Amino acid sequence: MWTRESGGLVLTFHLAGINNQNFLMRDDQTGSYWQQITGEAVSGPLRGRRLTLVASDELSFGLWAAEEPGGTVLKSVPKYASDYEKKDWEVKMKKERTVLSFADPARGLEPRTLLLGIQALGASRAFPYDAVIQEKLVLDRVGAEPVLLVVGPDGESVRVFRDRIPGIDGHPSFYRMLDDKQSHPHDAGWLKQASAAPLLMDEATGSEWNFQGCAVSGKASGLCLESVAAVKDYWFDWRNYNPKTTVYIRRP
Amino acid sequence: MKRSSCSTVAYPWFLIPIVVVSFAALVYPIYVIRPFRLQRPRELAAALAIIQIRPPIELACAACALGGLLWYWRAQPLLSRRRLAAAGAFLVCTLAVLSRVNVFELMFHPDTHPLFVPIQQAKVDPDDMVLAVKLDGMARAYPIRSMGYHHVINDVVGQEPIVATY
Repeated sequence: MWTRESGGLVLTFHLAGINNQNFLMRDDQTGSYWQQITGEAVSGPLRGRRLTLVASDELSFGLWAAEEPGGTVLKSVPKYASDYEKKDWEVKMKKERTVLSFADPARGLEPRTLLLGIQALGASRAFPYDAVIQEKLVLDRVGAEPVLLVVGPDGESVRVFRDRIPGIDGHPSFYRMLDDKQSHPHDAGWLKQASAAPLLMDEATGSEWNFQGCAVSGKASGLCLESVAAVKDYWFDWRNYNPKTTVYIRRP
Repeated sequence: MKRSSCSTVAYPWFLIPIVVVSFAALVYPIYVIRPFRLQRPRELAAALAIIQIRPPIELACAACALGGLLWYWRAQPLLSRRRLAAAGAFLVCTLAVLSRVNVFELMFHPDTHPLFVPIQQAKVDPDDMVLAVKLDGMARAYPIRSMGYHHVINDVVGQEPIVATY
């Protein structure tokens, strides 16, 4: 997700082409072409400019609705709604061929392995999505910076934060305190309670933290961790645009 | 008489390169940027450069074809050849019009006037994934199953013009 301002103009984008299965957008105002995954203009008068990334999350609708009861949702377009992707579309997409591969069987990376890609803090790192979902809490580094990836109470949403408590020295050393076996991931009432409830605790301050990355009790109460933007992507696409990426390997 | 026969011979030779240039400027980018094809950096850069410079080229081709046709029409006594030349000029004009159309923009059915509804009215299952953003205190969700179809939504959340992509 990007801001759509550049060169003093508010731009309106259209999908206008494909570059190795990552799409190109054209803006109406200048006719420049922009790469979707990088936000960079690759052709036209604004060539070389970059859009600013807007922090966004990929969450289950149930969890998001519990967190943001006053939020609004993109309405489906009636004449196209029957053609929208079906529930199992990610399973089908895994079978679609790719024009690039970068397969790395030794690390369990197929072209369409889903991952969370982080391009921030001076480095890029990929986290296989299934590994994150299974581990529930991943403590790792992007470049030199410690980060944590947390799976939400619904068991399918993931958020990424810097592993530092603002204003407090030392390493927080987070651990997960939610009993995931008791979750009811799609029950609206339970999700409303779970979305605000503590999910993590840190050893440095003894504080409890919820899925929004905010401390709800303890010494750090009222503080929030800094979000880190992550993109859900396929390995072939991520690797193509992040040739120096490193990959998180799940601990045995 | 000698001048007329010279012009009647010259026009087809004048028109052929115009048709070729006009056709190539239209088709080469489509050929390169089509789905499920490996796009190499140089050919993609060439295709996009052609798209950028194409409008004046197509316009110049159409103007040359029509101007030449006018000349040929006066000089050529045979109606059948006049018609053939007119068909050639029409082809060049058609290519110029088609070059203004981006097939991908039609193919992917853009949602050009997105509408938004409160959560209670949204027809989205609890386990469906959404792209979620919060700006200036305003929270917005874009269901992935819709985004996987439209791919691009131009929006304003709070005071911020953004584009949601998937």
